[in-house]
Amino acid sequence: MSGKQTLAGLDVQSAIEMHYRSEVRMLQNGQYREWLADMVAEDIHYWMPIYEQRLIRDRRPDPTPDDAAIYNDDYGELKQRVERLYTGTVWMEDPPSKIRYMVGNVEAFDAGDGEFEVYSNVVVYRNRRQLEVTVHTLGREDKLRRVGDGFQVFRRKLLIDARVTQDKNLYFFC
Amino acid sequence: MLGIPNLVDNVASNQSREIFWDKDVYNLELERIFARSWLFLGHESLLPKPGDFITTYMAEDKVILSHQQDGSFRAFINSCTHRGNQICHADSGNAKAFVCNYHGWVYGQDGSLVDVPLETRCYHGQLDKAKLGAKHIRVETYKGFIFGCGDADAPSLEEYLGEFRWYLDTIWEGAGGGLELLGPPMKSILACNWKVPAENFVGDGYHVGWTHAGALMQVGGELAGLAGNRADMPFEKLGFQFTTRHGHGFGVINNAAPAIHVKRDGWAKYLADTRAEVGRKFGPEREELYVGHWNCSLFPSCSFLYGTNTFKVWHPRGPHEIEVWTYTMVPRDADAETKSMIQREATRSFGTAGTLESDDGENMSSSTFVNRGTITRNGRISSSMGVGFEGPHPVFPGIVGSSFIGETSHRGFYRFWKEMLDAPDWKAVKANDDTWDSMFTNRNYWNDKVDAAE
Ligand code: FES
Ligand SMILES: [Fe+2]
Repeated sequence: MSGKQTLAGLDVQSAIEMHYRSEVRMLQNGQYREWLADMVAEDIHYWMPIYEQRLIRDRRPDPTPDDAAIYNDDYGELKQRVERLYTGTVWMEDPPSKIRYMVGNVEAFDAGDGEFEVYSNVVVYRNRRQLEVTVHTLGREDKLRRVGDGFQVFRRKLLIDARVTQDKNLYFFC
Repeated sequence: MLGIPNLVDNVASNQSREIFWDKDVYNLELERIFARSWLFLGHESLLPKPGDFITTYMAEDKVILSHQQDGSFRAFINSCTHRGNQICHADSGNAKAFVCNYHGWVYGQDGSLVDVPLETRCYHGQLDKAKLGAKHIRVETYKGFIFGCGDADAPSLEEYLGEFRWYLDTIWEGAGGGLELLGPPMKSILACNWKVPAENFVGDGYHVGWTHAGALMQVGGELAGLAGNRADMPFEKLGFQFTTRHGHGFGVINNAAPAIHVKRDGWAKYLADTRAEVGRKFGPEREELYVGHWNCSLFPSCSFLYGTNTFKVWHPRGPHEIEVWTYTMVPRDADAETKSMIQREATRSFGTAGTLESDDGENMSSSTFVNRGTITRNGRISSSMGVGFEGPHPVFPGIVGSSFIGETSHRGFYRFWKEMLDAPDWKAVKANDDTWDSMFTNRNYWNDKVDAAE
């Protein structure tokens, strides 16, 4: 991102932070259908690219949506992922696991036409069964648009910090 | 050996639980399986130009695989011969030379030591660089897939794949273009013994309907019928299971190659357009395999799903942990859009956040970690499904089981695992070449079945 962007202003900034807080609450409560319906736009691109470890002198371009990615989903594909969790036959989630999100460093920029570019940091704690604990840290680059008196995300790029995932899976939403 | 008799019982088709847990067993595996077998390193498509390289593992050894100026591939251990520092930390790139960060020794693309700082002034011209190359690894390729081996006495890669090439040619050559791999790989740590996923991919059609019931119902299509393992499914007509001399094996579900892919037009069309040529080259039985869905493992630790097209390596990290690397297989001559769609679908189902793969993690880890308990560990685990409903086949090489839901390929995998662990060297393994399949005692199974059908 360039330094030239226009900050969204405090009222929008705090509205977006409140939006993120209720998003987190929905995801922590397992209200995935409500999350998808209310907070995700139907033209979403939900993307978690795979970044290799490359030497600084390597001049190859960064990954694009045509390259390998852990998530590279449109709305229908996100919906499949959500609906799987409601089938009652996802044995790993019975009894259910716990997830807790810490979202910080939210910076909102005005992109015009009621759209905003928002950067944030996310720490994810997952607990399951008796003793399993895993932690993930991610950078998040969103494009939000105003819908009614709230927002919906229509681009979400998730930059996961670890090259090797120290977890059974990354099956959680951010 | 190890005070644990009978780790694998080929007659009763069961195994000691120690095979997933015991450190001494694991150390013997490192010596007698991983340091002696051909292990998957990469595919030409991952390092297509001279100078291209990737870093990878052979079990717990770090390796650099490099595309040489003459077009060949060389591999060497990723550790400096000075004080042992890791030479290269990049996942991939293009390099004429690799420089060790510690004191700056320089290695060529083939791993030879080509330069050291202050060679004249401080080594006084007395360093014998010719003897200080990074440790060399045997490399051979098959249809573009690159393997490495740490044992000079191992058979050639072609012999090691052996009669399994009959099956691999069907897909790795196919109508002519063959398959390639797309990276970069996903990488993740899973707390399980490496054999749990290897056996799952080699022969576990059984778990699909139960473990993946939720995902199958979401995906719909051909495989949705498997959800819940309903008793009314005609499993015997839906596919086969195969195992071969060196432990490689797979199960096939007929006519289901792209079944897990939701957006599959390009891939389905590719198969429809090329199957006739496969039939012409390889015959009708292999044309059927070409359009089937395979769950396959190449012994010991490389697995793939043909059709879904995920491609995995289970790098062991001690007896209780692995690092999973996941690539996508695509036809070399498919258009760019089809390749990209196959990659997205394969990742959505079997990547680190896979709708199916995420179901399996706990099966893998808990089958390993329950054996922390001594009373538990003093027991055995069973792979007897379909014993006797298998045997040599008039068309298919190796041993063939009658349904893709069976444990024929588990039996073949563990038969070879035991053979490798028992054998002091490759000579002892080769001595069993003519009798390897004698444990599959129903020699007339397929002849009788074919006669009965006529
Ligand atoms: S350890 Fe590599 S140069 Fe010294
Ligand atoms: Fe599975």
